[in-house]
Amino acid sequence: MTAEFDAQLLHYLSDQRWFAGKGGVSSIGGIVRLPWLTTADDEPRVRVELVTVITDDAPQVYQVPMAYYDTEPERMGHALIGTYEDPDFGRLVAYDALHDRIAIGTLVRGFVETDKSGGVTHSVLGPVQVDTDMPSVMLTGEQSNTSLVLGEDLLLKVFRTVVPGRNPDIEIHEALTRVDSDDIAALRGWITTKPVGGDEGYDLAMLQDFLRSASDGWEYARASVRDLLMEADLHADEVGGDFAAEAQRLGATVASLHDDLAGALETDTWTAPDLTRLADRLRGRLTQAVTAAPELAPYADALGSAYDALITLDTEVGVQRVHGDLHLGQTLRTIGGWVIIDFEGEPTKPLAERRAMDTPIRDVAGMLRSFDYAASSMVIPTEMSAQEHHRIDEWADRNRAAFLDGYAKMHGDDPRDHAVLLRAYEIDKAVYEVVYEKRNRPSWINIPLSAIERLAGA
Amino acid sequence: MSEIAQPISHESDDPNWFKRAVFYEVLIRSFKDSSGDGVGDLRGLAERLDYLAWLGVDCLWLPPFFPSPLRDGGYDVSDYTDVAEDIGTIDDFKAFLDAAHNRGIRVIIDFVMNHTSDQHPWFQSSRTDPDGPYGDFYVWSDTDDLYQDARIIFVDTEASNWTWDPVRGQYFWHRFYSHQPDLNFDNPAVHEAMLDALAFWLDLGVDGFRLDAVPYLYERESTNGENLPETHAFLRKVRKFVDDGWPGRVLLAEANQWPADVVDYYGDFDTGGDECHMCFHFPVMPRIFMAVRRESRYPISEILSQTPDIPKNCHWGIFLRNHDELTLEMVTDEDRDYMWAEYAKDPRMKANIGIRRRLAPLLDNDVDQMELFTALLLSLPGSPVLYYGDEIGMGDNIWLGDRDGVRTPMQWTPDRNAGFSSATPGRLTLPVIMDPVFGYQAVNVEADLANTSSLLHWTRRMIQIRQQHPALGLGTFTDIGGSNPAVLSFLREFGDDAMLCVNNLSRFAQPVELDLRSFEGVRPIETLGGVEFPAIGELPYLLTLGGYGFYWFRLPKNPEASGP
Repeated sequence: MTAEFDAQLLHYLSDQRWFAGKGGVSSIGGIVRLPWLTTADDEPRVRVELVTVITDDAPQVYQVPMAYYDTEPERMGHALIGTYEDPDFGRLVAYDALHDRIAIGTLVRGFVETDKSGGVTHSVLGPVQVDTDMPSVMLTGEQSNTSLVLGEDLLLKVFRTVVPGRNPDIEIHEALTRVDSDDIAALRGWITTKPVGGDEGYDLAMLQDFLRSASDGWEYARASVRDLLMEADLHADEVGGDFAAEAQRLGATVASLHDDLAGALETDTWTAPDLTRLADRLRGRLTQAVTAAPELAPYADALGSAYDALITLDTEVGVQRVHGDLHLGQTLRTIGGWVIIDFEGEPTKPLAERRAMDTPIRDVAGMLRSFDYAASSMVIPTEMSAQEHHRIDEWADRNRAAFLDGYAKMHGDDPRDHAVLLRAYEIDKAVYEVVYEKRNRPSWINIPLSAIERLAGA
Repeated sequence: MSEIAQPISHESDDPNWFKRAVFYEVLIRSFKDSSGDGVGDLRGLAERLDYLAWLGVDCLWLPPFFPSPLRDGGYDVSDYTDVAEDIGTIDDFKAFLDAAHNRGIRVIIDFVMNHTSDQHPWFQSSRTDPDGPYGDFYVWSDTDDLYQDARIIFVDTEASNWTWDPVRGQYFWHRFYSHQPDLNFDNPAVHEAMLDALAFWLDLGVDGFRLDAVPYLYERESTNGENLPETHAFLRKVRKFVDDGWPGRVLLAEANQWPADVVDYYGDFDTGGDECHMCFHFPVMPRIFMAVRRESRYPISEILSQTPDIPKNCHWGIFLRNHDELTLEMVTDEDRDYMWAEYAKDPRMKANIGIRRRLAPLLDNDVDQMELFTALLLSLPGSPVLYYGDEIGMGDNIWLGDRDGVRTPMQWTPDRNAGFSSATPGRLTLPVIMDPVFGYQAVNVEADLANTSSLLHWTRRMIQIRQQHPALGLGTFTDIGGSNPAVLSFLREFGDDAMLCVNNLSRFAQPVELDLRSFEGVRPIETLGGVEFPAIGELPYLLTLGGYGFYWFRLPKNPEASGP
């Protein structure tokens, strides 16, 4: 019976966007079933389960909140996982609880009730009111998590891949919420397991303000590019959809975010030996990348010497907690201005690396690369005409400059004055992109490659 | 149809009538000339009241028609209690007012408190007889050094707020033109004179006043001379005076300030407001233009979210265009440069800090955009103020001086002088529009009346829908965002009446997904055609809109009733 359920569960997991082990062979390595959140009479019965999946790479723990019914409710077909033989209750039908409005109510009840149970702890930064009468809505388009809108104004972000210890998304949101930052959606609470086995507890989910007026920065920027391309002969600053004013405000928001992060969390200074280590790290990544994508080989020497310039940089560099994976897709335009989301870092990297300090220039470089991508992504790169190329570059240059202007004005320190660092981080990001496109979207490789060509020549 | 509220009643004695009213600004001199002297007049306006009643107008706003040397469109008043000779007589005004009231149309008139014309007998007396009864009616000074922190408003024409008067041998203060000296509100006799003038018109039966340029009544050293506490105290005095003697009349303030400052002109929040009933919301207008050019809802959403709550017996007035230039004082410098670049490509189109164009030419005569703008005007929070001629898409004449380009005669027919006047064309004070696109042969009421798909008929239909839905006048406003930044979507709700307005600010077709969970199970009904749309479910509600398209949906509270 267990083997049958495991097979059904694995089948369900492998269909989910947030499942990382696609393609390879995988198996269920174990399931930690936390205590029931419900009483014996409730239906559905709800608990959180931590499922370890073994793949070719390292094992990965997935969080699956489960809702168990005695029979199959018709409306829930899309969230059906399988049938499970429970030692106490007999045969039950298992569903992904995040698709069930009753089960969601059970999961979040701990935010408002003092009676904590189910092996999880609900923490809050202040009293919250969760409206569980109104159906929640699941946001689409997320890669590694599942987010639910609760009531009118709260968002529950459920982490699907979990590790023991403090999730940086919660850590940074908490720190910034405590200093009343306007640049994020404020944190209201979070859910953590009690220690599991010998490990620290796992952070399962965070509750934050839902910004209902928000729209995605990436799509917003691309709408501007689309607008430009619809006009045959206007320049980027002449079309109605010009994005530069938004890019400038976004730059100011990122700068203010960096200032808040520096004030709220740890900071440090890098001296020459740290910069040498940084250059070594970047060179190491470049060497690996050239092997994976030989298209990089002609530029390797030039790129390498751009990294070497870090070593001779005779200056101290302030480092702090940063976003770490900043691009237009991590920005939201709201009525009140720009907001930055998703401080998890790259979920596949080890926790220590995701929480490491870095220079804010790294985030700036990520945004600059993102403007380049937004500009190029409207036309299939292999079909781009010289005229389109020119006009797209004009858009990217205009908005990159506006972003940097906004950043410099707010921060009092212009990233362009740190040209060696900025170039090194931009190269590192573009090198990563080349490898990514080589593996996933070969027809797009020219987008980062033309950036590499430009950066190598700089 | 039980869920549709009663249409607005013109005979209503509801003191909050202005919250649901559609206002219409009409320049008497430019609307209809009954005497053949080339100048529009009160009798002419009275003749056209049937047209305005047909259109669905609830309240007329008449800019100044007092005796005046007309150096500032009549805002330079030389007698507060009479009618300019070329416009008619007090008896004509009474006849017009009765005729309007008989049709259920209210009338508010402009009232300029801040200043008079330099031709006003008070000023003439003040300059020649400093010790006489009017000696202290104006702000005189031996030097021009005082109040240097007050900005100069008409930067195109005025170098200083002080002008030397050789007769009295002193400087006089003027926030606007140098031929419009400011009254001295520190003098109680000025208060008395103002209240007497208001009482004169209230006794005749006018339904209220648009108070011109109210922020500037007082001046104090080391201030910008705007929004001073003394000014608010005087407005409270005016409000009490009007409420005590003539309840139900309305005061509408022109305070071209940011909303956070304008709300002070409503007065005390807890008592529902004790200064003006209405204020114009100036910043929303340029932002509608900006949002459509940018194809982004944020310029509008931002300014509405920054607009504070107002006392419960108060209301905003909103407009797209009026007799003044499109005011750009309420946008940032960066936005202002952008607006100038976009909408005023010929430098003659710039006037002071604004743009002197009518709606249709501003929008390149694009009917889709004119309809979208009008739909926004009629659905955003606040009472809409239409500007005469915009309902037929009239053009402007940028070659006329000052702001006269948007004050040309109403185009009634394709006949001589556009049917405005039987005078010899050369006698008209302002020429009718004659260009090939907006000329009166092409754009006129007669043609638009004959064509049921015209902008005029469409505007009338939209006004009717607005009047059927109290939510659009009285309702709360909730911006509901949505997945697409080019689409502005909001809810207006009042009691059982819920309206969902979805506006595509882009010239291209757009999809949008809206979070309407609180209306799960409801079938939206599009109000222009009465078509029932699919029921709202658990998932985001998907709509598609054509370029510059919009929907006004009614959301019936009782889903079962609308099923088959």
